[in-house]
Amino acid sequence: MKLAFSVSVVAVVMGAAGITGRASSPQAASQATAPASGSRLRVPVDYYKLPNGLKVVLSRDTTSPTACVAVYYNIGFRNEPKDRTGFAHLFEHMMFQGSANLGKMAFIRLVESNGGLLNGSTRFDFTNYFQVVPSHVLEPILWAEADRMRSLDIDIENLKNQQEVVKNEVKVNVLNQPYGGFPWIDLPMAANENWFNAHNFYGDMAHLDAATVDEVRAFFKTYYAPNNAALVVTGDFSPAEVKAWVQKYFGEIPAAKLPPAPDLKESRQEKEKRASRTDPLANRPALGIGYHTPDRLTPEWYAFGLLDQALAEGSDSLFYDELVRKKGLTGEVSAGINFGLGNMFDYSGPMLWITQFFHDSSVSSDALLGALDAIVEKVRKEGLDQSALERARVKMRSDLYANLEQFAGFGRANLLASFALFDDDPSKINQLEDGFEKVTPALLQKTAEEYLRAGNRTVYVITPGKTAAQSEKEAR
Amino acid sequence: MKPFVLIALAAIAASAQQTTQQKPPAAGTPKDFALPAAHRFTLGNGLPVTMVPFGQVPKAAIRLVIAAGNVYENKDEIWLADLTGNLIREGTTTDTADAVARVFAGMGGELGISVGPDTTSISTEVLSERVAEAVRKLADVAQHPRLPESELERVKGNLLRNLAIQRSSPQALAQERFAQLLYGEHPYGRLFPTEATLKGYTLTQVQTFYRTHYGAPRARLYVAGVFDAAAVETAIKQSFEGWAGAKATDAPAVPAASGRQFALIDRADAPQSTVMVGLRVPSASHKDWIPLEVTDALLGGAFGSRITTNIRELKGYTYSPFSQLEPHLGQADWVETADVTTNVTGASLKEIFSEIDRLRKEAPSVGELRGIQNNLAGVFVVQNASRTGVIGRLAFVDLHKLGPDYLSTYVKRVMAVTPEEVRRVANEYLTPAKMSLVVVGDEKTVKAQVAQWAQ
Repeated sequence: MKLAFSVSVVAVVMGAAGITGRASSPQAASQATAPASGSRLRVPVDYYKLPNGLKVVLSRDTTSPTACVAVYYNIGFRNEPKDRTGFAHLFEHMMFQGSANLGKMAFIRLVESNGGLLNGSTRFDFTNYFQVVPSHVLEPILWAEADRMRSLDIDIENLKNQQEVVKNEVKVNVLNQPYGGFPWIDLPMAANENWFNAHNFYGDMAHLDAATVDEVRAFFKTYYAPNNAALVVTGDFSPAEVKAWVQKYFGEIPAAKLPPAPDLKESRQEKEKRASRTDPLANRPALGIGYHTPDRLTPEWYAFGLLDQALAEGSDSLFYDELVRKKGLTGEVSAGINFGLGNMFDYSGPMLWITQFFHDSSVSSDALLGALDAIVEKVRKEGLDQSALERARVKMRSDLYANLEQFAGFGRANLLASFALFDDDPSKINQLEDGFEKVTPALLQKTAEEYLRAGNRTVYVITPGKTAAQSEKEAR
Repeated sequence: MKPFVLIALAAIAASAQQTTQQKPPAAGTPKDFALPAAHRFTLGNGLPVTMVPFGQVPKAAIRLVIAAGNVYENKDEIWLADLTGNLIREGTTTDTADAVARVFAGMGGELGISVGPDTTSISTEVLSERVAEAVRKLADVAQHPRLPESELERVKGNLLRNLAIQRSSPQALAQERFAQLLYGEHPYGRLFPTEATLKGYTLTQVQTFYRTHYGAPRARLYVAGVFDAAAVETAIKQSFEGWAGAKATDAPAVPAASGRQFALIDRADAPQSTVMVGLRVPSASHKDWIPLEVTDALLGGAFGSRITTNIRELKGYTYSPFSQLEPHLGQADWVETADVTTNVTGASLKEIFSEIDRLRKEAPSVGELRGIQNNLAGVFVVQNASRTGVIGRLAFVDLHKLGPDYLSTYVKRVMAVTPEEVRRVANEYLTPAKMSLVVVGDEKTVKAQVAQWAQ
């Protein structure tokens, strides 16, 4: 069973809110990537900046007559105000509430009635908005994105409405859900020391209620400026036409003075941490383990990506083979860097590699952890054998392609936007395969030795049962 | 297949009172969209094969769809199809499970087995240079599974855990009861087994289910993506031609609908109620199916739909309400699902029913309908813009026997639906008095709120 969590907001691709069991219509994934040159994928990247600082990336692909428009703002839930947890996400909802030239619901109807799909989401380091549309409707979509970047219309009625919607979102995804918030909120909160990395990203209910119209307006002015954003267009379009529209609609939006970026640094963790909670809605225990990862785009980070593949991705992985197939301690292995909220490419700052397991009460979390440690310690000492390393590379390449193809060009736009926003260089998308290719067995082993230390991890246990408060209430 | 053109959108709903507002620039001219051409042939043993060269990324998807879903289980066999599917993953007569897993991983893929209500799919997605090899391996898995006794208890244990976890989610509980209310004793009405039933399954039962439901006459094979067509065709012929296996059988017929029913499942102190409202409607092969799809999208399927606008964007009762049509063999159902704040459970239902009633009485405007039609047409293009999407659409058409023109005429038929037809279809099929209702929520708070629908 797969529990997929996301802070994805406007649930346009309906059925995303924890519904399992009823098969839905065929998945609309995507076809959208460039022809291979040699064995490497080359994604076309046309990158420039407008005078107001807006980063623009165009990436053409004529596989199907569709296009994806993605606007990424360099503000995620890490950066929100300390007494307003959940604010970045609440604000994301407000971006669908109307702008100077498009009233409430008009943006959504504009996209849908033009044959498009749309969504937005809040992640660690960005908030994104995207539309997948038939490519001939690009101009009105670009106009509409520019309209809300220039002139978001925020009023008290819409704010109150979206406060209720967001509270309902937290209820359906966390409060009324077994394992709600596990591990994607629980582990960062337990593992990190720096408040920015360690607070409740979905937000405290009281904080959500306390948000005011003035705060929402100030947040918009501060962070939703062209010089804090990247606009990516992928798909079947004429680059000259799109460039002219981008200039026409976004060119006049004034830049803002950006506040200094917060210090996100986490110091090296020396001792293993343990955390747990009782979940009255759950009926089976769960175990989540989070290790701090190497810094993004370093040689060790590439090596860590391959470690993730070898240890925990797929039914050939070392964890699956030992914990599921040989020992029967659990039925499934789920893992990833930026697990539950993105992938190993689309963030900027300290990050965890998380692996999680559901198990029976007859298996203790220590037994599971012990079996996992035996595998991890062997890799820390000996690294991987050549065939396992090569298989990890093939899986990584295949995964990367899958990432790029996700949802009709959106997956590619997501990577391009991340590399534009965080690295000012979207062409990094074409250097990833090389980075993984360069990982040597020795680097892999050294990376495992340092980053898979028990002292570098946090172990989080979910125990089914009544909370202390419930037991007390019943005892009275 | 014939190419067709998306109809351009003319009117964009803009609020009329704000005349100072600028209007969005007009859209351009739609580009031709041709469904990717499919190469179809049938093997001597009756296995239909569809190959679709598609896209540019050097990968291909392979899917073997078999009439071996839960609908073929007997009353005391719920999830036997799942157990069989999961045991097929445990190696072939010549290869152990870990060896099979490594082979697929080495090709950039993973062996996937998914058991659904009607079919079971064995699938993978691998790098282009390995497609022929992957076809052969997949053929081996489907035809020569080891079904090892040694793994039976472990695999059952995993299913038991999944069952327990699923039943701790309010949505799954609602779905289970809703299916019972709509389909009763028919397999479509049985989502979950009891723990005792599941524990009792024997290897003999698994072997029997495999023997009677896995075979070329019950299967279809699809390949889509970038691959060497000649080499893959040869691999398909060599590795599937010798497969005989189980003969085709009809799934049990669905009995007549039994009328409106109500269930309230207590979830003490739940902050939300999970509600499902709906009823049975004609199947995907019925002439009114496409008008029903349009009606569903307008009423609750799209984000800008009426019910979602009402209970989310105006009232703030919920986060992710949605309606959908769920197609089965010779049957379908329509359902609106929403997780609503507990104290507005009754108010939410009232709004849902009022939106249904409104559409049954009054045809939508041309502009509102055109927006929804464009949306469905656009989503159709997106659905056909990926390897797995292309296979999914083709498999849907084949399963429901919708005919060779279904996909190529789909958009035209969506665009031809009239406002009056939407009203008629809503009136004819979406009758509130016949709708069943399931509420999973805090009974002490909710009971009075839903009393008027409880009779």
